[in-house]
Amino acid sequence: MLTETLALTVRELKKWIRTPASVFIALFQPLVWIALFGSAFNPTNLIPSSIATPEVMAQIRQSILGQTFGNAPNYITYLTGGILSLLLLFTSAFSGGSLVLDRRFGYLNKLLASPISRASIFLSRVFATVVKGMIPSLIVFFAALSIPDGLKLNPSFTLLDGLLIFLTLFLLSLGFSSLFTAIAMRMTKWESLVAVVNLLNLPLLFSSSALLPVTSMPDWLQAIAKINPISKAADATRTLIVQGSVDLSIIMLNLTYLIAFAAILTIAGGIASIIALRTE
Amino acid sequence: MTRVIEVENLTKIYKGNIKAVDDISFDVNEGALFGFLGPNGAGKTTTIKLLTTLASITSGKATVLGHDVSKQPNMVRKSIGIVPQDLTIDNELKGNENIMLAAKLYHVPNHVAKKRVEDLLELVGLTDAANRLVSTYSGGMRKRLELIVGLVHEPKVLFMDEPTLGLDVNTRKIIWDYIRELNKEKRVTIFMTTHYLEEADALCDVAAIIDRGKIRAQGSPQELKEIIGGEVITIELTKERDLQDFFSSIKGVKEVKKLGSTYGIKLGMAEDAIPAIIDGIYARGVKIKALSCSKPSLDQVFLEVTGKEFREEESAEAASRRQDIIARRG
Ligand SMILES: Nc1ncnc2c1ncn2[C@@H]1O[C@H](COP(=O)(O)OP(=O)(O)OP(=O)(O)O)[C@@H](O)[C@H]1O
Ligand SMILES: [Mg+2]
Repeated sequence: MLTETLALTVRELKKWIRTPASVFIALFQPLVWIALFGSAFNPTNLIPSSIATPEVMAQIRQSILGQTFGNAPNYITYLTGGILSLLLLFTSAFSGGSLVLDRRFGYLNKLLASPISRASIFLSRVFATVVKGMIPSLIVFFAALSIPDGLKLNPSFTLLDGLLIFLTLFLLSLGFSSLFTAIAMRMTKWESLVAVVNLLNLPLLFSSSALLPVTSMPDWLQAIAKINPISKAADATRTLIVQGSVDLSIIMLNLTYLIAFAAILTIAGGIASIIALRTE
Repeated sequence: MTRVIEVENLTKIYKGNIKAVDDISFDVNEGALFGFLGPNGAGKTTTIKLLTTLASITSGKATVLGHDVSKQPNMVRKSIGIVPQDLTIDNELKGNENIMLAAKLYHVPNHVAKKRVEDLLELVGLTDAANRLVSTYSGGMRKRLELIVGLVHEPKVLFMDEPTLGLDVNTRKIIWDYIRELNKEKRVTIFMTTHYLEEADALCDVAAIIDRGKIRAQGSPQELKEIIGGEVITIELTKERDLQDFFSSIKGVKEVKKLGSTYGIKLGMAEDAIPAIIDGIYARGVKIKALSCSKPSLDQVFLEVTGKEFREEESAEAASRRQDIIARRG
């Protein structure tokens, strides 16, 4: 099963690299988000500056960041964890895209007629998508660091914190890629995939703490946001960025949640796929 | 002789009660080149799908190399190769990448695969194009690549679904030679479908004629032609006249078929009967527009066993059915 999964994953990635537009968009889009969301959406700018003297305004901003945004030095720093989580959600959403095309062009039949484990058809898409999401997320992370008044890491931030951030994002990506690959397993039309992705993406995004803190939401939404894996990933990433080398136990709950999320969806998605690929 | 494929009372009913394959039985011997001949929508692709584990069997039984297709699908998959009707190679990969990927999926060791890939590319004349993306290939080149992708694991049985569909005469001849070489020199048992009668005639040891899911006749092309018997003369008159009874009364005439102003007359011994037929036509004041005398061909066999003209079927009704199929696939 390993050989096949690897071979098919490499196929996906080769095709990805050979479409420069898709690589470019994958990198460019989140950067635009950071730039746009970070400046246009900066909630601390929403207070009209005429209500107080500049000194008082600066204080108000500071206290908003302090209380509402968990002591992030600026909104971009708060936002980065959310944007990274979103990036992985959005790349994972089209994880099943190549399957739809393979089914349409008969390639899937060729795979099904070969003695490969059916799980490899599922896993190859999932793994390829994880790679396709993790590479841009690394680049975005460093890009956010390098822009003026951009992402500010806590001075105590270590390599381990960095690794933990990417482990968090990896788990999120694994879970969502599995979900979206399994959903696409029986689809014959690209349009249906786009419809499902659109149906799920925005609600997942807005019911999470990716862009705004949970405390700014009504109670019912808070309840959803608290169990949304995007919130878990965004919060964990944010905590690591803002607080630097932290007591692991603070993010342990989130990490455990994400490990369970990824494991359950990968296994369930795999089983669903094997069933979906049975001959009719 | 060992039977490589055994099919017993095989039936496939698709959703919506479409009976695509209707109680067919046949055997394919080791080393044979078996042709499945039929018009569009006859059930050829469905039969291949059943035998290659891609569709489930509604009733009946099929084994390939002794493995039950529905009970041991993985054993079957390991030992067969497939050349599907639609082009299914990956356009965004290079020619050689497509084959190397197939080699990996069939667990062919790398060093073995490299050599085979070279040989196979050579065989179909794609060596120079091997390093190019398939999206830059012409239709004929893609088809040739498709033919070898299914061979890298050296299957004992090869299923080919209309291997020469849409190719020019020249390329078709090249592919015929290639199929013969595979079969005769590499000893691959081949099950192929076609709707070209001359293809079945030129290539196959054994052919089965399938129409609307049923096998109407099977045997070697020679045996199939013997169903027709001797030679057939086709006479087209300048105008329609009922001469059926007259032709039938001539000694040596076995059968007469009328299609408008054209008669197909099947003869035991043509030499005896032809002058009598021609004299008789003139004596009745009718003129002959065209006359041809032919050795029995599979076309006539088809007409004989299905009761309809092969090409006619292909044009109208089936063309629309094919549209359906394409639409459904899309
Ligand atoms: N997936 C399917 N679902 C329902 N009906 C199908 C399906 N595939 C094929 N059929 C029907 O089964 C019949 C046989 O189709 P099949 O594709 O086996 O024909 P064929 O002999 O290969 O024709 P062609 O020469 O056009 O390729 C047709 O009537 C077709 O409409
Ligand atoms: Mg067909």
